[in-house]
Amino acid sequence: MSAISSLVPARFLTIIAHLVIVITIFWSRENNVKASLPLEFTQEQYDSEDQKLVVALAVTLGLFAIELSGFFSGVSMFNCSQGLLSTGAHASASVALLFFLFEQWELDIYWAILAICSVLPAVVEIILFVGVFGLKKKPL
Amino acid sequence: MAFYEVYSHPALIRYKTSVCTKATLFLVAILCLTYISPLLVAYRSQGFWTKRSTYEEQPVVRYRYEALLVAATSPLGDHVTWSTFPYLNNMLGPNFRIPAVSVREEDQNQDGKLDLLIFKLQLPLRADEQVYSVQLLLTFSYQLHRMSTVVMQTLAYVQHSSSVPGAKLFIGGDLRLQQRAPLAHRGLNNIYNVSVIDGSSPFVSSYDLENIMRSYQSRNLTTVLSCPSPVWTLGRAEGSPFELSAEIRYPLEVISYRPGFWETIKLAWIQYVSVLLIFLWVSERVQRFVFQNQVLTTVPVAVEKLHLS
Repeated sequence: MSAISSLVPARFLTIIAHLVIVITIFWSRENNVKASLPLEFTQEQYDSEDQKLVVALAVTLGLFAIELSGFFSGVSMFNCSQGLLSTGAHASASVALLFFLFEQWELDIYWAILAICSVLPAVVEIILFVGVFGLKKKPL
Repeated sequence: MAFYEVYSHPALIRYKTSVCTKATLFLVAILCLTYISPLLVAYRSQGFWTKRSTYEEQPVVRYRYEALLVAATSPLGDHVTWSTFPYLNNMLGPNFRIPAVSVREEDQNQDGKLDLLIFKLQLPLRADEQVYSVQLLLTFSYQLHRMSTVVMQTLAYVQHSSSVPGAKLFIGGDLRLQQRAPLAHRGLNNIYNVSVIDGSSPFVSSYDLENIMRSYQSRNLTTVLSCPSPVWTLGRAEGSPFELSAEIRYPLEVISYRPGFWETIKLAWIQYVSVLLIFLWVSERVQRFVFQNQVLTTVPVAVEKLHLS
């Protein structure tokens, strides 16, 4: 199927691109934290906002782990719908996080990006896991 | 013989599916991404809705032949006054002095709108008087016609003082429009079509320069004489009058206005469609890949009949 032969590498590349941007944001998160705070802030406020962003990034990495494990183990590698959904979600996330990083958006927007572009593919991945290992369906 | 393409035409394939399928979901998602993203791109890069634009116009300015002159004739503050308002002149008493005035307006480029006011005034003085400061107020009627019609009465106020008595004052400048807010793009604006100085008032307070300037400056649309360098000539001969000469030009104005609904929509539409073209192309490629390669199952229906039946 020619679709899968282009969809699998596309999905892999978009996941890796999303992962790279998440790691970049992890190392340069200072500006995003400052954008979420008022002009005058205390060190405690900074630390709490920083903590929130670190938690969000850690959750993203966890969801990546779920999805990559499903992808590399073959559970969802040849599933067309999951491939399309994952490619679309991670591509949108890459563009959104690019803006998040360069335009120094606030923290609240990150939660929205997380919900739409990281949670959705991971949830479908978990459903597929349950389908393959629990209900013994063929992984296609 | 060489083999070449003589003719080609596209063959249409329709992909059909029922409403509650993954294909429909995909279609909805891709349509949202295609039609909403250009709006976001165009809006976030600033300037989507034009709030202010400019246009050029030569205003129709006429001098109204009203003037008010106050000249200080001693360092202690004695002054002489002259005006074109009979009520004020009657109240001045011994401070009233009549100068010789000559006024001319010229249309230099023959476009039917006046361009220059030449105002010459000669103030006779007594032997013991010298002029130390001059305050002159001239009124104009000002009209704009190109976008909204603006009809108003404005003034030019000149003030110059020196610790050294002078013989001549020359003022050369432009009558510039000052706006606090952009003008409308159509309609009539004549709220300022009232005399700057109320010539029919018998009260001295209506001819007080401070009151006049205070109520004038509270307007949103005024004119100001921009004269960066008045020339105060010294050395008045005995017995000769004080000369005041002013050349006021009416220049081409760059006026800022709020664009109307259709102009704003036209400019926003241009911005939206030019970004939409890119997203449409990308979406077309993605949809062709998805439906041609059956990534989501649909029923392809070829429209061209393959055989005669």
